[in-house]
Amino acid sequence: MLLLRLWNYMRGYVIILVEGYFLEKFINICTRRQILLWDLKKQSNRRMTVNISIKGFKKLPEVARKTHCRVRIQSKCGLPFTVHKYKKRKAFILGAFSFVAAFYAMTSFIWDVDVYGNKKIDTQVLLDYLAGNGIRPGMLKYGINTDEIVSKLMIDMKELAWVEVSLKGTRIKVNVRERVTPPETIPMDQPCDIIARRDGLVKSVFTKSGQQVVKEGDTVTRGQVLISGNVVSRNENVKPRQVHAMGTVYARTWYEKKVPVETQIAEVVRTGMTKDVYSIMIFNRRIRLPYGEVPFKEYETVEIKKELSIGEDLIFPLTFIIERFYENNIIKKDIDLEEAKALAANKAKTELAKEIPQDAQIVKTDLKYTEDEKGKLTAVVMIECLEDIGMEKAIGGN
Amino acid sequence: MPKDSKKHKRRKKEEKEPKANFKEKVTELLELPKEIVLDVPKITIVGAANLILENYKGIIEYSEGCVRVNTSIGIVKITGRKLSIKEITSEDIMVDGDLEAFEFLK
Repeated sequence: MLLLRLWNYMRGYVIILVEGYFLEKFINICTRRQILLWDLKKQSNRRMTVNISIKGFKKLPEVARKTHCRVRIQSKCGLPFTVHKYKKRKAFILGAFSFVAAFYAMTSFIWDVDVYGNKKIDTQVLLDYLAGNGIRPGMLKYGINTDEIVSKLMIDMKELAWVEVSLKGTRIKVNVRERVTPPETIPMDQPCDIIARRDGLVKSVFTKSGQQVVKEGDTVTRGQVLISGNVVSRNENVKPRQVHAMGTVYARTWYEKKVPVETQIAEVVRTGMTKDVYSIMIFNRRIRLPYGEVPFKEYETVEIKKELSIGEDLIFPLTFIIERFYENNIIKKDIDLEEAKALAANKAKTELAKEIPQDAQIVKTDLKYTEDEKGKLTAVVMIECLEDIGMEKAIGGN
Repeated sequence: MPKDSKKHKRRKKEEKEPKANFKEKVTELLELPKEIVLDVPKITIVGAANLILENYKGIIEYSEGCVRVNTSIGIVKITGRKLSIKEITSEDIMVDGDLEAFEFLK
């Protein structure tokens, strides 16, 4: 029924008022002449309203004359009449067509390049690479072959293990996975030394191959040879042999961090006062709407971006940006000396934890406070570790 | 003459009836749609609000309370309230409204 109604709407129809004494005859003649009628409603004894197609209506005068009926149009419905109404409005039609054309044109470009999944590689590096290969906002999307880009990226960027490029709407999404680079090792058949990675006091040395140079209790500095790959024979007639040195050298190492103890800390509190600065980004060109000065001394900024888009993937090159300035109040607060000491010590410890390699074994943690001439306290944290400080290095190389 | 006329009538009847019977039997045997082969109306009533009459001949009366339609087997009379003809073509007629009665006037 809906389909029929839609069809009638598309074809256009008129609602007519028929007046006369022989309405039945009128209906019969209409049906016999293949004129489709629907929604016949009797108004009174000699009046009724009838829906009739435009084509049928043109055949009506003859029927009306035959049956002595008067036919009047009550209303015109349907698409043909609507179209006819707008036919004279050239600007409207032009606007409608230009809208469709503009929509089509705008959606045939790439407006957003989205790179994600990268941790070590800078996003900008990837974006620059993509731009160099013709993928940047403002490019026509039809010439882009995603498979080709994937293989290009995989060949040129050794750090990537997997790449996925998908083009959806006006957005191109580049999903990457980075390769976990294996540690640089010297092949077994190449001669090498074992050198110290950092300063330390040698605790034990296990040599699997090569000539042991240091012994327990020796103090070594960074870069010093611990196990040499140059094996010199006691027999002077035999030339020195070069081997791939192997072994582990455990040493005590120390990590130290100094953090001054501050009895006064600055606390940042938002006052609740804000100022918004609006800007519009069209085709990657940012236009900042005029604004006065930021009336705050201390403030932080939050940028809120609103992209014009249809759904998730159909993005248009129009972005509305609100920069919101929050006024901050910096409150200086005095704290307890003990509290300040603990704070400094904690800070030093967390910073040290980042420096200490994971396989190192922490032996001892020392915490002390030193005072300078002005009476300023400094927290000094020293951590003693036991770790393998050996590192392979090719003989003769750097 | 009257005798002769009677005889003639009988013969005509005899001739006509087996023919109709034969047609009916064939359509029943072959399961053909009767309303087309035998040229009789097909009437479908949905609930008490909608009536579709196919294979009709012409409309005799149409008012809000009564619709009379001529068919090959006689006049069909539909009475009710607020009757309107939803659609009318040369093959079928659809009547809407509160249907109350449906009669064959033979």
